[in-house]
Amino acid sequence: MKVSINWLNQYFAEKLDPKDLVKKFNLMSQEVAGLEKLVDIDGLIIGHVKSAVKHPDADKLKVCMVDVGDEELQIICGAPNVDANQKVIVARSGVTLPGDFKIKKAKIRGIESNGMICSLAELGIQAFDSNELGIFVLGEDALPGEDPLKYLNLDDQVLELDLTANRADLLSLRGVAYDTAAMLNIIPSFHEPQVIRETTENPVSIFTQTKNCQVYYGQLIENITIKQSPYWLKSRLIASGIRPINNVVDITNYVMLEYGQPLHAFDYDKINSDRILVRDAMDQEEIITLDGEKRGLLKGDIVITDGERPIALAGVMGGLNTEIDASSRRVLLESAVFNSIKIRKTALRLNLKSESSSRFEKGIDARKTLEALNYASELLVRYADAIIVGKPSFFNTINPKKKTITLSMDKLIKVTGLKFEEDDVEKIFNRLRFDFKKKGDTFIVTIPSRRPMESYQDLIEEIVRIHGYNMIPLSIPVTPTQGGLNKKQKTKRLIRNFFVGKGFYETKTYSLVTEEMARKYDKETLPTIKILNPLTKEREYLRHSIIPSLINVLIYNKARKIEDVFIFETANTYFKNDEQEKLAFLLNGKSDYSLWQGLDKEIDFYHLKGVIEALLEQLKITNYSIRASLSPLPNLHPGISAELLFGEEVVGFFGRLHPEEEHRFGLKDVYVCELELKKLYESSEKQEMTYVEVSKYPPIERDLAIYVANEISAHEIIEVIKKTNKKLLNSVEIFDVYYDQNKENKKSIALRLEFLSYDRTLEAREVDEQISKIIVNLKKELNAELRS
Amino acid sequence: MENKLKQMAVLASDAIEKCNTINELMDVKALYLGKKSEFNAIMQDLKGLSDEEKPRIGKMVNEAKQAISALIEERKNHIDREKIDALLKEQTIDITLPGKKIAVGHKHILTKIIEEIEDIFVGLGYTIKEGPEVESDKYNFEMLNLPKDHPAREMQDSFYITEETLLRTHTSPVQVRSLLANTNQEPLKIICPGVVYRKDDDDQTHSHQFMQIEALVVDEKATLADLKGTLLLIAKKLFGENREIRLRPSYFPFTEPSVEVDVSCFKCNGVGCSMCKQTGWIEILGAGMVNNNVLKAAGYDTDKYQGFALGMGIERIAMLKYGIEDIRHLYMNDLRFNSQF
Ligand SMILES: [Zn+2]
Repeated sequence: MKVSINWLNQYFAEKLDPKDLVKKFNLMSQEVAGLEKLVDIDGLIIGHVKSAVKHPDADKLKVCMVDVGDEELQIICGAPNVDANQKVIVARSGVTLPGDFKIKKAKIRGIESNGMICSLAELGIQAFDSNELGIFVLGEDALPGEDPLKYLNLDDQVLELDLTANRADLLSLRGVAYDTAAMLNIIPSFHEPQVIRETTENPVSIFTQTKNCQVYYGQLIENITIKQSPYWLKSRLIASGIRPINNVVDITNYVMLEYGQPLHAFDYDKINSDRILVRDAMDQEEIITLDGEKRGLLKGDIVITDGERPIALAGVMGGLNTEIDASSRRVLLESAVFNSIKIRKTALRLNLKSESSSRFEKGIDARKTLEALNYASELLVRYADAIIVGKPSFFNTINPKKKTITLSMDKLIKVTGLKFEEDDVEKIFNRLRFDFKKKGDTFIVTIPSRRPMESYQDLIEEIVRIHGYNMIPLSIPVTPTQGGLNKKQKTKRLIRNFFVGKGFYETKTYSLVTEEMARKYDKETLPTIKILNPLTKEREYLRHSIIPSLINVLIYNKARKIEDVFIFETANTYFKNDEQEKLAFLLNGKSDYSLWQGLDKEIDFYHLKGVIEALLEQLKITNYSIRASLSPLPNLHPGISAELLFGEEVVGFFGRLHPEEEHRFGLKDVYVCELELKKLYESSEKQEMTYVEVSKYPPIERDLAIYVANEISAHEIIEVIKKTNKKLLNSVEIFDVYYDQNKENKKSIALRLEFLSYDRTLEAREVDEQISKIIVNLKKELNAELRS
Repeated sequence: MENKLKQMAVLASDAIEKCNTINELMDVKALYLGKKSEFNAIMQDLKGLSDEEKPRIGKMVNEAKQAISALIEERKNHIDREKIDALLKEQTIDITLPGKKIAVGHKHILTKIIEEIEDIFVGLGYTIKEGPEVESDKYNFEMLNLPKDHPAREMQDSFYITEETLLRTHTSPVQVRSLLANTNQEPLKIICPGVVYRKDDDDQTHSHQFMQIEALVVDEKATLADLKGTLLLIAKKLFGENREIRLRPSYFPFTEPSVEVDVSCFKCNGVGCSMCKQTGWIEILGAGMVNNNVLKAAGYDTDKYQGFALGMGIERIAMLKYGIEDIRHLYMNDLRFNSQF
């Protein structure tokens, strides 16, 4: 809302301090978006053109002698309409016009020019005069040497307020004046409209067939002369951000700004009857609106009709069929209140948001409908030579009983924590001009129609903001509660800390991706969740997997010559009726290297697997298994990928990207993993922290080297060994894998077995016995052959 | 005899001095102190001396032997030390060569700030609640005093999935769920961190996805003063001990009264600078007393219960704290950016 300070001053005995207003509004009412001069030019002056003769060397230029009060200036002017005896706006040298255009003394085709005679466009206020021909010519009463902005009422400042949805009252100057008065503790005075009416009967009758119009007044006005509005009215409209058109339109806009009540003027001679019928639109009904567009209507729209055809789309835009034009003589002026939700929907659907529709949407003081209409009538008499025909016709369904809200001092103190005195509250209600009664320590407040309120909480807000939020003391809640992270939250932090400790960077990527990315790592076809109203195709689907986003991060960084990318992310993924929190990570490049020492190996599958195993150890999860996927994992290398399982349940997958996929993105050796966090949390929570005393006895180590067929996995060998001896075998470690060229299809595996007892020192003999048994079983079950 | 002893002592001393290895030293030791040494020979000769001379010369011999032993020991230490010194010198490396690159990980700045804020609230007795991001219109809007036709819905244009489900536009639905789950209506002090979405084109200051933390306190006593005290505490912890706050009236459908909270500018200390647009204050979050309609919708008796809520955008906090100029940096994951936190 743009508020003209000159206009606001009109309601008060003393001039307001605009800077103080900014402070007050910010702290007690609504945020101020800005305070600016309406025309931000210093030094303009009124000049009297004494003579204007053609420039000897230029056909289109005139040499003017201009009296500016204290001197006579020679100014070269190129405007076609400049002439002797005009009063004009002069910018002397030294004045800066909008666009950083600095006026300087200059020679134009050999003749000196000491300034500029200005057009309104050059001053940035073209809207002030819609049919400008060149320079702007002031009235004859303008005095040379005086301030032209003052003469035109443009010496104004504009206070712009950012309004919140609950303050529709501030969409009117009167509303702003009420709030200003409350904040500054001063008294506003408002002009009472005075209408001189013809005694003839108003022939118009008004009917309604809808619940969506609470009140409707129609005033017939005759003898209209369409012309330009006076300067003061134009400048106030411009300050309010509304372009002046002609006196009738300007007056309806002016009254709307003053009261917040939109008005509409019909050309009465274009209405086919004396009957105004307000009703809901019919499906497939049509109207051509003032902008010339044909609008298809729906049942939810409200129309004003002449009994037959629509003549206006209520609250949104008038109909072209009853438009005011230069020849209009009789006007029917409408002041009404329509259902705000219906207006909002119609304006939104037809993309017809306007100053009036937005006021209807946010709510109007329905008790000021008639007064606003009367004020417009008064102005039309004064500025459009109008004759007001009788009293307005109307219907009115407003309940005359005003709403009250009760607030006790106890409640006020209990909610705010501030020990208000009754006297404080009374004073604040008086400043706000709220009527109230008192019953004990309880206030019964009559809610003014300009400030709709729902409950005592709204009253508390009014009291606190006028009293000042700075008066509220500082304390913290007294009710004792136990705070803390739950197990899941602790585990999540542990996981993040684990990855940070292992040198990974945490990323945050968007949940919304393309359709392809959303389901790229789905093992089976699962439905994706699509946004009905996406911003772009890039952000249309909710992702099933974080990995495609991590790959994008990798590509982004590679393009910037960042070679080693170790990243992880925890985020939700989205399935039908289910959100799964996942952990994904990606490894590419080198880790923990030293180039000059020759330690510069690219990471491989076993690095990835090591990270997973370390994570599980950190989470104390031991009962897991890793196996090749039974069906190929999409977009992963079929031979270099695996699944992690807890029991029979798949927790996630990991491995190298499929070479085709790597090729597609110009990447190499990219390793990824994605796990379901819920399963990690649950499994981790089940693990109790337990203690076992470390053995006091020394372990015995034995190395064992065998040949097995290439297809036999390390896992199978270790399983056979572990099965053979459960009691004394403490650990099995593979320390060499070797493919012997002489042994076709066979590989050599070297293992280190550690035996340990918790109750005695082991003897070499019993360990050797175990080794023999193990060798026998390896031969029997895996056809292994001992390497000598 | 005495002269001979003195002469031998000098000779021995010279010989010891010349030894450069332990072996040489051992040879010298054998020569002077061994069984066949000249001192032993002198000891044999003592027998021929008078009873008066015997103890005197004997003592001299022992003293000479002790002196030589000491010299040998000293020389041995010297040789050992030289050997170690030589070894150390030989093992000396160029310590200016670069160390092995041990990767250092980094949490995302948004995570860091969330954890920081979580820790502050946990210390104040709050618990952390989470909820789904795909949310029903009912929990995201209707139960928060935002019925279907409420004009404030336009303020937060949303991504819809069906007519009744959408990507949550704030973490407030978690508050609703927590109020409903708290069937005994015990005192509730919770914070709700999480990802939220608004239908905004991504630019320097807007992101269609961002993170929020909201706090909610509902009991029989929580006051506006409690809210103000809590806000000051948060502002100080996040932006420094010397910070002040101010509250300005605002509007949110789910709170009444509602306020915007400004913190005194931590760059200029309130004098006015470009960061605070010359006002000395920076807006950091929104808050208010829970609207009775929200409590009623969750089955609370508003004559008995009241409370406050506050909510902040994590990106905004991060951008303010570190002077990050573009919100998109937070989701770009340029590792040169992420590594700074
Ligand atoms: Zn500052």
